[in-house]
Amino acid sequence: MAVAPGWYLLLSAAVFCIGLFGVLVRRNALIFLMSVELMINAANINLVAFSLVYGNITGQTFVLFLTALAAAEVAVGVGIILVVNRNFDSIDITDAVTMRW
Amino acid sequence: MSEITTLPNWTALGPALALLATALALLAVDMVDPEESSSVLLTGTSVTGGLVALGLALWYLFAGTGQPAAGQEAPQGALDLFGGALVIDAMSLFFTVIVTSVAVLVAFASHEYLRDHSYQAEYYSLVLLAATGMVTVTAANSFVTAFIAIELVSLPSYALVASLKTNEGSSEAGLKYFLVGALSSAVFAYGIALVYVATGSLQFDAVTTAIADGTPFTSLLGVGMVMILGGVAFKIAAVPFHFWAPDAYEGAPAPISAFISSASKAAGFVLGFRVFVDVFGGAMGVFNWVNAFLIISVVTMTVANFSALKQNNVKRILAYSSVAHAGYVLIALAAFTGSVDGEISILGAGMAHLFVYGFMNTGAFLFIALAEHWEVGRTVEDYHGLGEQAPFACAAMTVFLFSLAGLPIGGGFFSKFYLLFATVTGGQGLLGAALVINSVVSLFYYTRIVRALWTEDAAADLELTEYPTGLYIAIAVAALATVLLIPGFGVVIEYAEIAARMIGG
Repeated sequence: MAVAPGWYLLLSAAVFCIGLFGVLVRRNALIFLMSVELMINAANINLVAFSLVYGNITGQTFVLFLTALAAAEVAVGVGIILVVNRNFDSIDITDAVTMRW
Repeated sequence: MSEITTLPNWTALGPALALLATALALLAVDMVDPEESSSVLLTGTSVTGGLVALGLALWYLFAGTGQPAAGQEAPQGALDLFGGALVIDAMSLFFTVIVTSVAVLVAFASHEYLRDHSYQAEYYSLVLLAATGMVTVTAANSFVTAFIAIELVSLPSYALVASLKTNEGSSEAGLKYFLVGALSSAVFAYGIALVYVATGSLQFDAVTTAIADGTPFTSLLGVGMVMILGGVAFKIAAVPFHFWAPDAYEGAPAPISAFISSASKAAGFVLGFRVFVDVFGGAMGVFNWVNAFLIISVVTMTVANFSALKQNNVKRILAYSSVAHAGYVLIALAAFTGSVDGEISILGAGMAHLFVYGFMNTGAFLFIALAEHWEVGRTVEDYHGLGEQAPFACAAMTVFLFSLAGLPIGGGFFSKFYLLFATVTGGQGLLGAALVINSVVSLFYYTRIVRALWTEDAAADLELTEYPTGLYIAIAVAALATVLLIPGFGVVIEYAEIAARMIGG
């Protein structure tokens, strides 16, 4: 293997943290969704890299499922965001707050 | 199963297949005639499909499918399917019974609730798809199937919560549920990836073996376990991952609140039981999950009960009550000692509590569906004097609430008693004390609703004109089940024990 596995771990941890940062600070629901996608792709990096390290294809197979599920999640999510936009005229997640505590 | 009646192994998936087939059939029925599709036909189809799945699960459970045959020890006898990706054992069938019962009740109750809804077939179809996912979660024996099944539960649930499209509360609830859910499933996926990094496998038995053999990446395994714990805690709505629950339950259509708070929680718990007891049982040295669950359990029940005290919206009170019950059931993991020896094991008690909770909590939320159908309002004050106009439904609600509190009027008394008994015999007196104190606190807010129903005077213009049949049937069945679980609790705890032994070894 040309690149040591540790670097992949570092890369995926960095991507995961960028995603998490986006989730915590961005208020636009679509950007939130993109940040979540980054986090899932961080998991994918780990799975593919260590699939190679261990020499089995379990990880790579799971990546295919994860990608499909992430796409399905976006489909449902964008639908919900559209409905929210119709009701609140905004996709800012801090605007939809009629219910508290 | 005896030699003569052995069916092919794949038929053990019957309940899941029945639910899936019904979900697709509903879409087909709606496709033939979308303008004229009769709501009776749709409800009937979903109830029938749910009952078939429930019947199959009960039959398999009583016939001994996935249980050790004579002369075998507990973990043996489970049916491995698809190279060990799914496993049908007593635990998966036990939880399948819970999930399908709740799905049938919800389908019944949705009949009147959905009268003016324009997407009835899709609604029922999504309910049944989510139920399919829950049944698959109970059987998942690999992180791949577990994750796919959890998503099959989550995605329809998001859509169902937001299904009242023109209602602000419903779409806000859907957004919050979706955002928190998407985040937690990403964290869960990353946790799974880290476990794969540490062990090189995703199948539960293989991961168990790899952990036992030792792995060079113990710290990564620990982080992965924490992340998986986060994913499970979201599904069961335990503190600190409970913030979505009150909002999602309040905004969602009431039958869906019942469905998510009972069945989805049970599915989350079954995953927690299998992953932590069965797979990470040997990794206690890496990350002491028993202590983590101990803290989460006590904090969950305390925070939830005290938050419920200051609510004025009945649906929110019940939402916090459902969070509190997640805390009670978490005792099963928090007091787990590494074995299920003894007459009453803590794991079995937790599973039995989930079984009873499935009926009493669903019933309580369905009463709210009834109140929403009557449009009496949502706060405790709006419920004043309902007892005079609808004595039967209010009596059932009283049974549900007192059973949730743990009074000996429903099965909730026995399941809480067994939990308490198991904590005391297991040397976890602190947890037992937390359970008792919290049950006393919960009595305050449950009694408040009961008092509003019976002793207060109704508003002058309160006039109930209609008594919806489907909702009444569902509430009556749930109430009957809750009461009958007092004499029938022996059977439940017996099968819960068998289920617990299948994973606890």
